[in-house]
Amino acid sequence: MSINLELATAGTRESRLGSITGYNGNLQDLVQQSHCGSLADRQRCFSQSSTCCSGCALGQLSGIRDVAIINHAPSGCTATAAGVDVLNAQLAVKRGVSNSTVYVGTDLNEQDTVFGAIGSLKEIVLETYRRYRPKAIFIGTSCVSGIIGEDVDSVVEELRNEVPVPVAAVHCEGFKTKIWASGFDASDHAILTSLVKPPKQKRNIINFKNFYESARDQIFELFANFGVEPLFLYQNSTVEELAGLSEALATVCICGTLGTYLGNGLEEKYGVPYVRTINPLGVVGFETWLREIGKVIGKEVEVEQYITKERAQYMSKIDEIKKELQGFRAVLGMGPGYTFEVARVLQELGIEVVWAAAWHYDKKHDNGQVPPALDHLLRNSPNNFKLSVADQQNYEILNILNTYKPDIYFSRHPGTTIWAIKQGVPALCVNDEYMIFGYKGTLNFAQSILDTIRNRSFEKNLAARTKLPYTDWWYQQDNAALLKEKK
Amino acid sequence: MGHFIENPRSSCALGGALAFVSSIDRAIPVLHAGPGCGLQATAGQLGQSGGKSFGYVGGQGTPSTNMFEREIIFGGVERLRETIAGTLEIMDGDLIFVLTGCTADIIGDDVESVIEEFKAQGVNIVHTETAGFKGDSYYGYNAVVQSIADQLTEVVPKDAKLVNLFGIVPAQDIFWEGNFEEIIRILNKLGLKVNSFCKEQQGLKEIKNSAGAAINIMLSPWLGQEFLATYKEKYDIDTFRYPGLPVGPTATTDFIRKLAKQLGLDNVLVEKVIAEEENYVYSYLEKIIGSFTRYRFSIVGDTNTVLGLTRFLVNDFGRIPLVAVITDQVPEEHRNTIERELTSLEYARPPKVVFENDKWKISELIKEYKDDVAFILGSDYEKEIGKKLDALTVVVSFPTTEKLIINRGYAGYRGCLTFIEDLYDNN
Repeated sequence: MSINLELATAGTRESRLGSITGYNGNLQDLVQQSHCGSLADRQRCFSQSSTCCSGCALGQLSGIRDVAIINHAPSGCTATAAGVDVLNAQLAVKRGVSNSTVYVGTDLNEQDTVFGAIGSLKEIVLETYRRYRPKAIFIGTSCVSGIIGEDVDSVVEELRNEVPVPVAAVHCEGFKTKIWASGFDASDHAILTSLVKPPKQKRNIINFKNFYESARDQIFELFANFGVEPLFLYQNSTVEELAGLSEALATVCICGTLGTYLGNGLEEKYGVPYVRTINPLGVVGFETWLREIGKVIGKEVEVEQYITKERAQYMSKIDEIKKELQGFRAVLGMGPGYTFEVARVLQELGIEVVWAAAWHYDKKHDNGQVPPALDHLLRNSPNNFKLSVADQQNYEILNILNTYKPDIYFSRHPGTTIWAIKQGVPALCVNDEYMIFGYKGTLNFAQSILDTIRNRSFEKNLAARTKLPYTDWWYQQDNAALLKEKK
Repeated sequence: MGHFIENPRSSCALGGALAFVSSIDRAIPVLHAGPGCGLQATAGQLGQSGGKSFGYVGGQGTPSTNMFEREIIFGGVERLRETIAGTLEIMDGDLIFVLTGCTADIIGDDVESVIEEFKAQGVNIVHTETAGFKGDSYYGYNAVVQSIADQLTEVVPKDAKLVNLFGIVPAQDIFWEGNFEEIIRILNKLGLKVNSFCKEQQGLKEIKNSAGAAINIMLSPWLGQEFLATYKEKYDIDTFRYPGLPVGPTATTDFIRKLAKQLGLDNVLVEKVIAEEENYVYSYLEKIIGSFTRYRFSIVGDTNTVLGLTRFLVNDFGRIPLVAVITDQVPEEHRNTIERELTSLEYARPPKVVFENDKWKISELIKEYKDDVAFILGSDYEKEIGKKLDALTVVVSFPTTEKLIINRGYAGYRGCLTFIEDLYDNN
């Protein structure tokens, strides 16, 4: 198995899962190559700004209530702390809880790059503890701390004897991995190795790995039908709750990219079953996922009853709106945990997927299997759609949009939506991870697609007045023109 | 103890530089930096500056070498060369700013030689060292203008009506667009043409013209010492430095009169403009008299904001400042000037002036005045202490992710009215 909780780091997805950021081809080819192991990464001779794993790692952990995040990095790497503060405050108010998490940086400066700053790191951790009494402390590493060779693990060892709360290093140097989702694994690794305790009892809890628990009430209601409660991770969860992850009946997730390390880690170490189906987006995804949960917790009958009841309420409405969506053509650009799932939902709704771009691709997850969404698409997709893997390479996406002229572009990162709109393509940002959850979500999503496609005035007017920074030459090239051949 | 940055009030040098370059029309930033720097810097700077995005190129569109382990071990020069070559083919622009990040600057890549190769081919390209460990957003701003003065300009004919306007730092001043617009409007009214580089779709042409300006206007008591000296040395351009943003009739009129004197502008025109503008402002101020109460306030923000708003609230609006906290890293030698400026207004009593950027310490300072304070002017961070003390908190300084700021600004004559609106628009 690829997860090793004895090591200091989770390792990169490239080394653990064979993940890539450069590919251009089609669905069948990608899945076949994933199975036979021949899939290799392709480099680019031109690239645009990507993202680093640090944001994913520390972003996940900073949602936990009443902890301290200490980013051992130059000031810029901690600059989004204000956003974290505001987000935490808003999401806590929404839940009716309080969150006193602090996000601190060690402000590595030019001197530190020469002489090191491990001493001041330790003092800053101790001062943070004195000021705020956090319930756990996470110390993130950065490009600079990595290059100058700061021994953060040793400091963590020392601190464990000096502060009475869990302290963990989170290894997330940006240059170590092209796959920013490696940062999710780094955060999970820190949780698994420093917070989770062995189970004392089983509880009627299902660990639910997600981002911002926006469908919290809905899922509490859903799970109540089966006599279980969800525990949402990590936003708004507490250190005590995380200690008990091993006592859950199962782990589920809203996004396979997000959930693989924690889900598989809990299963391997504590025998907590990890539900690895296609995701609960769209009707087929939701039913497949729910049935598997039913199987794992022994509530198959209740699940079937629930499905029958909900179908009666929603399916005729969904079928009705599907009629209006037939024949529309879509391009998608998202993380792999969403691209392949949303592509599947679009096909369920009768929309033609002409191109799907994933920001990276894991050719297997931590259980050694190809992500379920891919196998599902291989069996069910009406067309062998074109597919690329690119770490948010905007120039490729705009070229694809220009070539294929879809009716709509879907993204999950708002920044990429802006560019499509500037080019005149209506775009829908699937920002909320629960936007397509269950029957109700699917119906709302279908309606949002229709709303987006039917009112194109903003895109039309804005594009007519906007000059994009790309040359005509580029728009005439194949979008893979700057992808190097495999070595 | 080392530096303790609890909730920073600026991004890094790269963040400040990228926000500035992104605002120059048809300028293409090329990052020679880690994979996350572009997004971190965009999210940390523009993303926390009132919810706006970049202009021509920025965010995900920014060319970047995305330095990984291979480049760090074997050097990233070849990758940089390839990325610039790709940029020239793919991106449609007039000039390229190569901005280096922490990784490139630590491993010491020879960026200059690559730049020289492209310069030799006639490409308008400059390099600015903007490693995050070197400094904050202001450092990045200074560094970009310095590279403009050093590398992009040459002697051009003088234009007596042309001024360069510096000191409003894009996306670090959360009202930078509106502030620029108001100051430019006033200067235009005085018959002057303004180079801002980052408004009115200005770009390479204005950058080149800047060498022929009659004067450099610097709206900050401390920014730009070096690049202003370069402009003086290379092009004999004097500096007119005004300490902070002019906000409200008293300061703006003072700003105009002093500038007019240094430039030798026609006095009749100057006084006509002043009279018109003051009449405009006071015609509104007289109508809001019902809202006038002599409240006490504490203020937290960068030098320009603290100076600008405190001067207005005190000199024009009769308010009482308790503590003024300046959060940018002002070099020691300029702190006296700022303190003097803040303690020599029309005071009933002058405020305590403190240079500090640690959120926790700032909250402690504000708490000292908890029995007196009616409202707090600060950033998103001060909302927390404001709530605890039950004081109205108005966001006027970086960072803010709560407020959407399009073209509103507080500078000049008209800006002070917008500011008063915001002061009373608390929900």
